[in-house]
Amino acid sequence: MDEFLEQFLLESRDLIAQAIDDLLALEEKPSDTERLDGAFRAFHTLKGAAGIVDFAAMARTLHAAEDILATIRSSGGAIAPGLLNECLTCLDLTSRWLDAMQTSGVAPATAEAEADDMISRLVGSRDADERDQAPQPQGDDWLQRLDASALARFDGPRVALRYIPSPDAFFQGHDPMALIAGLPHVLGVDVALTDPAVSLDSMAPFSCGLDIVVWMAASAVDVRAALTGAVGLTEIRELAAPGVTQAESDTSKAALLLESQLLVLQDAGSDGLSGRLASAGRTAVHALIHLGRDEAAIVVDQATAKALVERRTSPLVEAIERALTRAGPASVRDDAPARVHVPRALRVDMSRIDALVKLTGELIVLKNAIGHAAKLSQENTQPAVLAASLRDQHAQFDRLATELQTAVLRIRVLPLRSVFRRFPRLVREIAGSVGKTVRLVTEGDDTEADAMIVEALFEPLLHILRNAIDHGIESPERRAAAGKPAMGTVVLRARRESDSVVIDVEDDGAGVDLARVRAVAAQRRIAGADALAAMTDAEAAHLIFAAGFSTATTVTDLSGRGVGLDSVKAAVERLGGRIALETRPGIGTSIALMLPFSLMMTPVMTVEVAGQAFGLPLDSVLETAIVKRNLVVPIGSGHAVVLRDRTVPLIDLTQALGLPHHPPASDQARIVLMSIGPKVAGLEVDRLGERMDVMLKPMDGLLAGVSGVAGTTLLGDGRVLIVLNAEELFD
Amino acid sequence: MTAVLHDSGIITLSGACPVDDAETLLQLLLANPTAEIDWRDCTAAHAAVIQVLLVAKRPLRGPPAGPLLTRIVTPTISSSG
Repeated sequence: MDEFLEQFLLESRDLIAQAIDDLLALEEKPSDTERLDGAFRAFHTLKGAAGIVDFAAMARTLHAAEDILATIRSSGGAIAPGLLNECLTCLDLTSRWLDAMQTSGVAPATAEAEADDMISRLVGSRDADERDQAPQPQGDDWLQRLDASALARFDGPRVALRYIPSPDAFFQGHDPMALIAGLPHVLGVDVALTDPAVSLDSMAPFSCGLDIVVWMAASAVDVRAALTGAVGLTEIRELAAPGVTQAESDTSKAALLLESQLLVLQDAGSDGLSGRLASAGRTAVHALIHLGRDEAAIVVDQATAKALVERRTSPLVEAIERALTRAGPASVRDDAPARVHVPRALRVDMSRIDALVKLTGELIVLKNAIGHAAKLSQENTQPAVLAASLRDQHAQFDRLATELQTAVLRIRVLPLRSVFRRFPRLVREIAGSVGKTVRLVTEGDDTEADAMIVEALFEPLLHILRNAIDHGIESPERRAAAGKPAMGTVVLRARRESDSVVIDVEDDGAGVDLARVRAVAAQRRIAGADALAAMTDAEAAHLIFAAGFSTATTVTDLSGRGVGLDSVKAAVERLGGRIALETRPGIGTSIALMLPFSLMMTPVMTVEVAGQAFGLPLDSVLETAIVKRNLVVPIGSGHAVVLRDRTVPLIDLTQALGLPHHPPASDQARIVLMSIGPKVAGLEVDRLGERMDVMLKPMDGLLAGVSGVAGTTLLGDGRVLIVLNAEELFD
Repeated sequence: MTAVLHDSGIITLSGACPVDDAETLLQLLLANPTAEIDWRDCTAAHAAVIQVLLVAKRPLRGPPAGPLLTRIVTPTISSSG
């Protein structure tokens, strides 16, 4: 990507962030003129930047938003919530375009169409605002005016258009009906009066007061092209494929059926080929006819005939595959956020760079001093003098290296604000979609963490918040019955705890229903009945992080999408963090993510087994203990040790790693106690080593899949230290 | 002129009704409060004419001749109503 574009992306993202900041502040305090000015300037500069790189769609979208802000600025009024939302949506859209540009280097092809839609939404919301929230059909209500039965009969892209010509349209010589006559494949038209109360006596026949909805079997692009002469408001909605609401289950069943035909055809053997071809073809045709997709059925039928003649499966396989790509759920509403953008460039405070420059200077001084010491050693200087000098320089070097490390880490940090500030709006939307009102309180958003961690946190946190809102917070009625305020509260808090960054998500909901969790875990065979019975409540609560777990009785749009909290746990662990949960019935649930401050350095403790050194991540080491061997007792197929009246499962690291076993040399066992999720477990080792900070290199290539290993690092003497992943060892 | 009042008390719309017909039609409707409208010969109508039909809510004899007009599903002027 050329430098120019890179700079554009970088600056635009900054401007978007600033504009979002200002808009969110305006939401809190709509009359804040300073914030309004700030948002206006950000939009204005963004528009200018888009102009420079010739991104016309972005420029005109932002121009429309800027116009609105300018009007509000000059009128001195407060910004209406609807307008504010549209401005935020506009920024979201721009942000998505930038993401696309980042990957492909060019403006996305869909930008023009998206810009048209966005502009009409912006203009629409402004007009709605100007009409002072008159009882105007809001949002997508107008879509209900469509004739669903007529629409269902048509396959292919369908589009609905709402057209509200401006009142002076007739005077301008415009005929909206002529415009509609020029639209492609009109299926139906609904004409309504913007003022239904008007009568023949009072009407002005040449003042247009029509609100027209048209639906067409055409693509949005064609419709948009035909709309060039429109005078007034237009809004275009692409409609989902036929009968999504009722036929969705049918569709997925049919898709399954089609897929199974593909499996039948996959078998390459020529035995009974024609029989298999004929039956697979027939089944597929029936499935498609059932769906009302006659054209596709005909195509598959013809392909079957062709396949039978040529005695090969590929024509039919291709035809079914083509039918299948269209048979899937027609409009999966993908409200999942776009993939987290990995920061390729970072804006750094100048003072942090200055600190680095200063350190570099000191390092050069030290380098000269070491050169001097090397010269001294050649000149037969007294060893004692030389040793003193070297020791001194090592001490200085040690100090500088630590300072340099800290300085470099400080460059890579970002305040968590950059991810937290995206949530208030999302939380409100999510809560609205499940009929709850939820207040999000963020605390400690100036806490800093490694940029990569901060960026990677968005999705896990969003998932936890969705869960808290969807499952945690009760419905307003139930809250009222429980004597709680109708509005739920979710607290999102970040704090530093020594070398970790802890993020808490607390809700004041009903708490995790442990009885249900146990029941579901048993039903889905996540844990055996005995194991479940033996679990403490805290352990049982952690089952919600187990793969394949989801307690929602009704699958909602939000959290019940098959991906449970296990994905959150996996994401957090990938970042080298841990997740903990605390729940109190009727009072609420608190989920804590404990993440390393930096991805670069990991504190480890070294241990030795069978003469080999291994590292254990220090954050999961609770303590080390040396116990008498007779305290280690066999239990079932394993071992356990009793420590301070507590029985702890014990694993012999030598055995676990499959290293040559040798009989214990002493009657003492050295044990490292580790926290594995909510549990505690012990590792028996031959020798306890030291604590050190290492730069962990993850396993890659052929070794990427090795379980039980977190990564490797080099020791001072050049040996490779394998750092173990405690959790996987105990699995 | 394509909007005409007949002796039978029925207003007919025929051919393509331009914007001026809106005023004519409005006057005819105001002068004949019970008159019905027949637009079976109407091939096209300016939106201003449609607007008068909507406001009038008079019984409408259809379906109209123009293909686009038959696609209007609004109950007050729908071709089936």
